[in-house]
Amino acid sequence: MALRHFSIELEELHALLLQMGELVESSIRRSVQSLVERDKELAKAVMRDEPRVNQMQVEIDSKTTRLLALNQPVARDLRFLTATLKINTDLERMGDLAVNIAERAIALINLPAVKPLVDIPKMAALAQNMLLKSLEAFVRADADLAQSILPSDDEVDALKDSVYQELVELMQRDPVTIPAAVDLIFVARNLERIADHATNIAEDVIFLAKGIDVRHHMADHPK
Amino acid sequence: MRHFVEELEDLQGRLLEMGTLVESAIHQSVQALEERSEELARQVLGNEDRINHLEIEIDELAVRLLALQQPMARDLRFLTAAIKINTDLERMGDLAVNIVERAMALIQRPAVKPSIDMPQMARTVESMVRKSLDAFVKREPELARSVLLADDTVDQLRDTIITELVSFMQDNPAKIPQGLDLILVARHLERIADHATNIAEDTLFLVKGVDVRHHLEPNF
Repeated sequence: MALRHFSIELEELHALLLQMGELVESSIRRSVQSLVERDKELAKAVMRDEPRVNQMQVEIDSKTTRLLALNQPVARDLRFLTATLKINTDLERMGDLAVNIAERAIALINLPAVKPLVDIPKMAALAQNMLLKSLEAFVRADADLAQSILPSDDEVDALKDSVYQELVELMQRDPVTIPAAVDLIFVARNLERIADHATNIAEDVIFLAKGIDVRHHMADHPK
Repeated sequence: MRHFVEELEDLQGRLLEMGTLVESAIHQSVQALEERSEELARQVLGNEDRINHLEIEIDELAVRLLALQQPMARDLRFLTAAIKINTDLERMGDLAVNIVERAMALIQRPAVKPSIDMPQMARTVESMVRKSLDAFVKREPELARSVLLADDTVDQLRDTIITELVSFMQDNPAKIPQGLDLILVARHLERIADHATNIAEDTLFLVKGVDVRHHLEPNF
C-alpha cells in the first residue's frame, strides 16, 4: 500500500480522535452546567450523546487495528497507533464519567440545594482544558505541551480535597443534607478521574516522544 | 531471535503473572478492610511497584512483537487484547491500593457495624476477576459471558450498599467519615468489576473477532 495513503489514513484517525475529544469535552461542560443550573433537559441531552461517544470509540478502535494489520507500520507510526488505542479508552471513560455526573445532576434536582457550587465548576474548567490540551499535544506530538498540563492535575486534586472537607462538615452540621452531599462528593471524584484520564493521555504523549528515540536505537542495532 | 510462538507464550505468561498479583492484591485489600489488618494493607502497598513494573514490561514486549513480527489476524487480535488487558489489570491494582487507603483510614477510627452486602459484593467482584482471567487464558467465551452477567449484580449491590450507608450516616452523624469511606470502597469494587468486564469483552473479541462492547452489532 502506498505510503501517501497510509499518512492520509493517519490524519483521518487524528481528526476522528479530536472529534471524539470535542464531543467528550462538551459532555463534561454540559453535565456540570446541568448540575449548577439544575437543568434536567441538559442532563438528559448529555445522556443521549453517550451512544455517539461509544460508537466513535468502536470506530477508532477498528480503524486503528486495521491500520496496524494492513500497513505493518514500524517505529514512530506503530507507537502512535498503540497510543491511539489507549487514548481512545481514556476518552470513552471520560465520556462515561460525564454521563455519571449528569445522572448525579438529575438526582440532585430532586433534592433541596445544599450549597452554592464554586469549586466544582472550577474543577470542571481545569479538567476540560486538560483534555483539549492533552489531545492537541498528542496529534502534534508535542511533549512540552503535554508536560504543561500536569500541574493542573494537582490543582484538581487539591480542589477535590477541599470540596470533600467542606461537604463532610456540612453533613455533620446538618444530616438532612447527607444524600445531596454524597452525590456532590461523587461529582467531585468523577471530575478528579476525568483529570486523571487527561493526565494519562499527557503521559502517553511524553512516553511517545521518548519511545521514538528507543525505536530508532533498535532500528540501528537489529538483533 | 526466539520463535514468535514462544514470544507470544511468554507474553501470555507475564500477563497471567500480573493477573495473579492483581487478584491477590484485591483479595488482600478486602481482607485488610474486613479484619482491620494494617499488616495486610501494607502487603498490598508493597506489591504495587511490582505490578507497575510488569505493566511496562508487558507493554514493551507487546509493542515490540507488533513492530518486529508484523502479525496478522488472530495474533494481531491477541496483541491488541494484551495491550488493553494489561491497562485494565494495572488500574485494578491501583483500585486495590485505593481500597487499602480507605481500610487504613477506617482502622484509625472506631469500628462501624459490618454490612452483609459488602462482603457479598467483594466475593462477587473477586470471582469476576478470576473468571475473566481464566476465560482469557483458556479462550472460553461462555466463561467470559458469565462475567458480563455478574456485572449487573455488582451494580445492584453497590446501589443497595450506598442506600444503606446514607441512612446509617443520617442516624449516626458522628460516623459520617466511616460511612463515606465505605461508600468509596463500594465504588472501587464496582470499578474493579468494570475492568473485569472489559477483560471479558476483550476475550470475546479475541475468540470470536466480534466486538461486544456497548451492545453493538458485530462490525467485522
